[in-house]
Amino acid sequence: MNEWLSRLASLPQSWFETPVAAIALTLGAYFAGIQVFKLMRRPSWCPPMLIAALLIAAVIAVLPVGVEDYNRGAAWLMLLLGPATVALAVPLYQQLPQIRALWKPILLTLPLSATLAALYAVAIAALLGAPVEILASLAPKSVTSPIAMGLTRELGGSTALLMGALVITGVTAIFGVEWLCRLLRIRDPRLIGLALGINGHALGTVRAFEISSVAGAFASLGMSLTGTFTAVALPLVWHLFF
Amino acid sequence: MSVLRGFLWLLGFLLLGQTGVELLDLPMPSGVIGMLLLALWFLYRGRMNDDIVHVSQPLIAMLALLIMPGVVEIFFIAGRYAHQWPAILIALIVGTLLSVLSSLLLMRRYLPPATEAPAHE
Repeated sequence: MNEWLSRLASLPQSWFETPVAAIALTLGAYFAGIQVFKLMRRPSWCPPMLIAALLIAAVIAVLPVGVEDYNRGAAWLMLLLGPATVALAVPLYQQLPQIRALWKPILLTLPLSATLAALYAVAIAALLGAPVEILASLAPKSVTSPIAMGLTRELGGSTALLMGALVITGVTAIFGVEWLCRLLRIRDPRLIGLALGINGHALGTVRAFEISSVAGAFASLGMSLTGTFTAVALPLVWHLFF
Repeated sequence: MSVLRGFLWLLGFLLLGQTGVELLDLPMPSGVIGMLLLALWFLYRGRMNDDIVHVSQPLIAMLALLIMPGVVEIFFIAGRYAHQWPAILIALIVGTLLSVLSSLLLMRRYLPPATEAPAHE
């Protein structure tokens, strides 16, 4: 009987020896997060992903396993971020006619918007006395996560902190775009989509697809171009200063 | 099978991107270079490969799920940044609201108004 109990107690650890438990936990929490999100009547300040991450954190805290055990398994799932980034070539190519038609205004505004998205946050954090490691984790905050993670490693920031920054940025951008568009009486779905994609990366793009397909298309355009531009420009500019 | 063939294409371009990054010592993630190379490949061919389109839809829809595991760790290491949280939160929230405002104003100024039929372009 005792032996059986001790075997039961060591069960969670043996689950997490292979990636299976971590992947199952992630998928389960993802669907549970979406359910809870619907029950909460889709609050714009709390995306399903945040609910799911909290659920996972709670499960790990209760079970006798560490967050490292979870990370080791979830890394297998996150391997898909690489091919998912490459897959962004599809929306990019689909929107080429629109990019061609609007290349002048987009070329004029997008690099500036993408630069400002990084600059405001880094400048405010620097003024408030945050150390370089934190600045490096905040700088790619408006960039879609696979690109942002590569960037923050390149700059010497913390990936975990960056992920937190990405979620806060995405949620704030969605809230900010909807609030400011009401205030400024902006109804053009192309503009709303671009603003969501440039400032709110994948989270903003998912929201834009909920508004309309035009907004979604322009959001993925804004997201891919911001990601590409920042991936090229940020490391170059960063190494001038640090 | 189409999805698997498309996935193989994506992996191929990811490896090609990694090759470019390492040979040219580029300060960019391999995925980004792979994405640009694939977009150029589509441009060169003049059309998209159906297998890649099939696999890209579910993968892009999964982006939020793929970000999630990275977010979990922040709840466990939050204490390490205890003194910095006010600065981080103010920078992120105020910074993002400011950048949303400036991009909306910039684009309202320079984007031509939407017409019913884009006849001139």
